[in-house]
Amino acid sequence: MQVAGAVAAEKLQVSVLGHAYVGVGAVLVALLFYLAIAAQITQSSYDISRLQDQQRQLIAEQDQLRYQEVTLHAPAQVQQQAAQSGMQRVVPSSYIPGQQVAIDLGAPVGASPADTTPLWLRAVAAILNGGTRDVQAATKK
Amino acid sequence: MATRALSSKRPGKVERVGSARLRVISMLAIAMVLAGMVWSRLAYWQVAEHGQLALAAQAQYREFVPLPALRGAIFDRNLTQLVVNTTVYSAFVSPDQITPGERQSVAGALASILGADNASVTAILQSKVKFAYIARRVSKTKADRLRALKLPGVGLQEETQRSYLPGAYAGTTLASDLLGFVNWNGDGQGGLEQKYQKLLAGTPGYVSSYRDLANREIVLGSHTHQDPVSGSDLVLTLDANVQYAAEQVLAAGINTDNAESGSVLIMDPTTGGIVAWADYPSYNANDFNHTDPALLKDNVVSYLYEPGSVMKVVTLSGAINAGVIAPDTVINDPGVLTVGGYRIYDWDRANHGNIDYTYVLAHSLNVGAMKAMQAEGHDAFYKNLQAFGLTQPSGIDVAGESFVAPPSASQMADSQYATTSFGQGIDVNMVQMLSAINVVANGGKYAPPHVVERVGTQVNPVLLQPQRQVVSPQTAAQMTAMMEQVVQKGSGSLARVHGFEKDQTGKTGSSQIPVNGQYTTDVWTSYVGFLPAQHPRFTMLVVVRKPHYPGSDRNWTLNDGYLTAAPIWQKIAQTMVVDWHITPDRS
Repeated sequence: MQVAGAVAAEKLQVSVLGHAYVGVGAVLVALLFYLAIAAQITQSSYDISRLQDQQRQLIAEQDQLRYQEVTLHAPAQVQQQAAQSGMQRVVPSSYIPGQQVAIDLGAPVGASPADTTPLWLRAVAAILNGGTRDVQAATKK
Repeated sequence: MATRALSSKRPGKVERVGSARLRVISMLAIAMVLAGMVWSRLAYWQVAEHGQLALAAQAQYREFVPLPALRGAIFDRNLTQLVVNTTVYSAFVSPDQITPGERQSVAGALASILGADNASVTAILQSKVKFAYIARRVSKTKADRLRALKLPGVGLQEETQRSYLPGAYAGTTLASDLLGFVNWNGDGQGGLEQKYQKLLAGTPGYVSSYRDLANREIVLGSHTHQDPVSGSDLVLTLDANVQYAAEQVLAAGINTDNAESGSVLIMDPTTGGIVAWADYPSYNANDFNHTDPALLKDNVVSYLYEPGSVMKVVTLSGAINAGVIAPDTVINDPGVLTVGGYRIYDWDRANHGNIDYTYVLAHSLNVGAMKAMQAEGHDAFYKNLQAFGLTQPSGIDVAGESFVAPPSASQMADSQYATTSFGQGIDVNMVQMLSAINVVANGGKYAPPHVVERVGTQVNPVLLQPQRQVVSPQTAAQMTAMMEQVVQKGSGSLARVHGFEKDQTGKTGSSQIPVNGQYTTDVWTSYVGFLPAQHPRFTMLVVVRKPHYPGSDRNWTLNDGYLTAAPIWQKIAQTMVVDWHITPDRS
């Protein structure tokens, strides 16, 4: 009984030490994991910072290109290119006279024109298509 | 012995006990005082100085970066972009980070890339300053070259700059007087940039983040962030092509006239939108810091002048509208009229006999204008000036409008009423005058002058308001017919546009410039007109200041709107007719 008790006690002691080792090991692993993650985060943040700097450079380049594009279409540039091509502004020899448009926008809106479609045709259209001639026209292809 | 000793010791023991207590109390007191000092010092740093220390600590590890808002762009009526935001760089040095051995090479590199003076750069590097700019606002190309060299103690600061389109002649940018410019603090100066500063500038944002020991941002660390709100874009009523043509023709015209300066203003008759706004001489808004401040003044809206005979259009329109005269009303013009004790002459001092009002306008006769004003009466004439917008600022949406209110109706002398009827003794700016004449082109309605058609997607509220009827459409039509005669038979013959000779209107103006209350032989000359006469597409006013037309040294009356301003008007109108595909209603 005593011997068995001693062995059990020894085993128990080993087990306690084992637990301690396991615990310390787990803490170490967690620490290493934390360090790795922290390093990765820091590295990522530097990468983001570098990319942001690149982005600023690209935006600056885009601004330059935008100004060049706008300047190319500026009247000064257009005229210069036209002059280089030998183009000249010519005064028209004659004009086609304009005509007044005969629409009176102020006139009151009158009644709609009467529908002259025969009644029987409207009835047939309603039965066959359940709609009007407009619907027929729109659906027949 | 023992008793004596006892008796002798008792008082002594009592003394020792008291002394020990005293010592304890003293020690405690000292400890308390010392501890109190420490605590109070701690409390001072922790409580009283907490705010300051927290800020100082934050300054070391936390960074607050303002995020500037993108300034709104400006477009013309055809959505041609007139202003572009570009990124530029300011190069700076920190001399304490450059060793004496490196100074010469750093200075040489900075001088060669940035074009700075080598000696002055070296002087800066040898000085004890911590920070100094070497060049402001250099291009990205130069900045890239500088960055590639990785010079010690040299840095680049990113900034945004407004870049404007090239103008019609060297050393200017397009529509610089109208647009204004933006200074290095981001504030609009003059023109639309100043008037619409709040809307264009937007609202800046910020990023507040942490930095490591190497001053690199820890992007994933705790930080607060507020996005900037970009400024609104402006869409103008301006036409960049017409603006360019106006600047080009004006510059040539002013040189031909040997004038001090000149301006052109073109308006859409139906809306009041400004199509072109040119001034000569002008300036380069991309290089505003090297510009003569005198050139920054916008003469279109900030310069007051006496409009001269152009005013007769207003005077006669009012009188016709009041029913006191008609275009064919005949008057006698002996060439002079005495008003308020002053003898006031026609420009030619000739007796014209019996003439009608169409003739009066075509030949720009002062006596006829004065008689029309007298027929209308002082009060009605003054109300007419008010209705045409000549007694208050035009209210145009451009910064820096100058205005001098005329005296009240009761304070104006008879002679001033007389001279005002033909445009002397009254000060106006070009926007006021063009808007007044445009009433005739717009069927008798006053179209409020404006330059901005849309802010972002919002239409300018001015465009949604009903226009004020100043004179009847019949009066406007009669005045249009009279102004056509100015071109066909009168002083506007040099403004005839090919194909539109019978379908355009005009009126010349010349007025002497007063100096210290005395009129001199220097003049303002002008020409105003619209085209086509019946369905106007534009109304244009040209003003020339102090022309010295060839031969005017012998005869100063050659400095007239007929010879100086009308040809400028004609050339710009001819260009517009082609560009806008305008055809005459009758030819």
